[in-house]
Amino acid sequence: MFLLPKGSPLFENLAVSKLKLPDVLTKLSNGAFTGYASFIFQSSTAILVFEAGKLVSVLVEGENGKRETGFEALSALAELMITTGSGALNVYKLSKDLTMCIHALLEGEILYKAQDLKLIDINTLLKKVKDDQMNGCLRIYTDEHSAMIFYKDGNPLGFFHDGASDIETSSSESQKIAGLPGAKIDLFSTQSADALMGTNLLEVTNIQIIWDTCVALHKSEIDKTNLERQERDRKIVSQKLAELEDQVKSIVGEYVGKVGRGIVDKEISDNGGNSCLIDADGAEKFMKGVERAAKLLVSGTNIKLMMEKLSSALSTGKIEF
Amino acid sequence: MEKFFELLTQMNPFDLIQVIFWGVAGAISFYFSIGNARVWTSISIGFFLIFLSQAYGINPWGHYQKLTAFHYIIGTVAIMTITHGFLEYYVFCRTFEISGNKLIVYISTIAVLAVSGAFLVINPTPSPNTIRNFKMVENAIWVFLCVMNLEIVRKIYAAIKDSDISKGFIAFGIVFICIFIWRGSDLYLQIFQWDKDWQDIISLMTEESSDIEEYIGRVELSQEVSRYAGLLSGISVAGSFAYMYRLLK
Repeated sequence: MFLLPKGSPLFENLAVSKLKLPDVLTKLSNGAFTGYASFIFQSSTAILVFEAGKLVSVLVEGENGKRETGFEALSALAELMITTGSGALNVYKLSKDLTMCIHALLEGEILYKAQDLKLIDINTLLKKVKDDQMNGCLRIYTDEHSAMIFYKDGNPLGFFHDGASDIETSSSESQKIAGLPGAKIDLFSTQSADALMGTNLLEVTNIQIIWDTCVALHKSEIDKTNLERQERDRKIVSQKLAELEDQVKSIVGEYVGKVGRGIVDKEISDNGGNSCLIDADGAEKFMKGVERAAKLLVSGTNIKLMMEKLSSALSTGKIEF
Repeated sequence: MEKFFELLTQMNPFDLIQVIFWGVAGAISFYFSIGNARVWTSISIGFFLIFLSQAYGINPWGHYQKLTAFHYIIGTVAIMTITHGFLEYYVFCRTFEISGNKLIVYISTIAVLAVSGAFLVINPTPSPNTIRNFKMVENAIWVFLCVMNLEIVRKIYAAIKDSDISKGFIAFGIVFICIFIWRGSDLYLQIFQWDKDWQDIISLMTEESSDIEEYIGRVELSQEVSRYAGLLSGISVAGSFAYMYRLLK
């Protein structure tokens, strides 16, 4: 995303995670704001251009350079605000004319795109801009540098280049870039500021619904992720419990014989499933039950040995959970 | 006490030895019932009751006919209690359920004996023939339940054969075989009216005759089998409980 002139800052570096898009838009709209709001995320940037409180332009540019405008851009912005949990909001007030030029830059008609300056008669082009009384923006750039000239009714409003924070009246930087090898130009034109006033995205979109849908979608995504994680955790726990149960059965079977496995099954069932093996009270009841049944089948000496082994296995097992 | 010692001197030494062995078996089984799990209580109490049923020979008041009949009732209750115990053990082997408590077993056994005693008290004094009937019923029940217990013991052994005490059930199998032969031979004599009690009864009844002389060989064999099997039963019960006690120690 190219840099834009900062104008006069209203807010800078507001944490996006604490904001709600409908509230931000309502506030700027109700305040008859003219200028732009930029949302800076780690991998995306969104620019919202306001003209006297009317949202005239929205642009969201992703990490891969993919651009979205209008309704899609609003939806994408809402989604970014909800899902990223980070980002900063900057709001800059601009003059009505400059706002019009920003709109041209973002969403205006492209007259020239990436044209090599060497192949263009720049003087003829500037004359055409003047003669046609164009509103718009001429962008001159190389791979490393960029400068913009904003026009109103064919007359330059000012110059803006990388590294600057505001509009300048001097054209020297623009001329310097134009002189660099490989310099290219883009020319964007737009309607007049007055004509732009007829557009208000806030009137044709229900931002509250967009926001609520995104919130609900995000919540359902989180719920789904949580559910998947819980399911995964449950599977892991259940697998570990099954292993512990098998170990317990082997110990009891070693001393009691094949009926030992049946005794373990019965005690586990009586104590609410194999989760009792990792629960302090459940494990105690389970041990008592196994001991009571084993007394009918095994010598006292072997019961003592078996209970020691069981106790040790359950203690080790509990640590793993 | 004088009467008791007089009875001891009058007793056939073989019968006296048999009673002594049943006494030892009864003491061991009763002791076993105290220190072990609830399921063993019925079995132990049952074997202890056999001693009481066999002790009529040394009972100073044994000449009271109702008391003699009571001895036979005790014998019947004994095998029923033992069978109940083995059934419970078998159920445990299949379901691993252990329910109830020892006190209920003790109280229930005493209650059954008390009701049996009351039955004798409210009825007329039994004649020698009635007492013989009591004895025959006791033997019949013993024989039937011994066969049933042999099957139960086999099934228990099959279920727990790789546990410490499985061999103890083989010992109990031997016990039931001995008891089956002991009681079976006695019942055989009673069914064909070759038993001593019947001979005593018909000696007073001139119109009755007996064919015992014709089968004296098999009668004597049955009597000897009954005596030795009875003695072996007492020894095997004492031995089985001692063996079981060692296995469970």
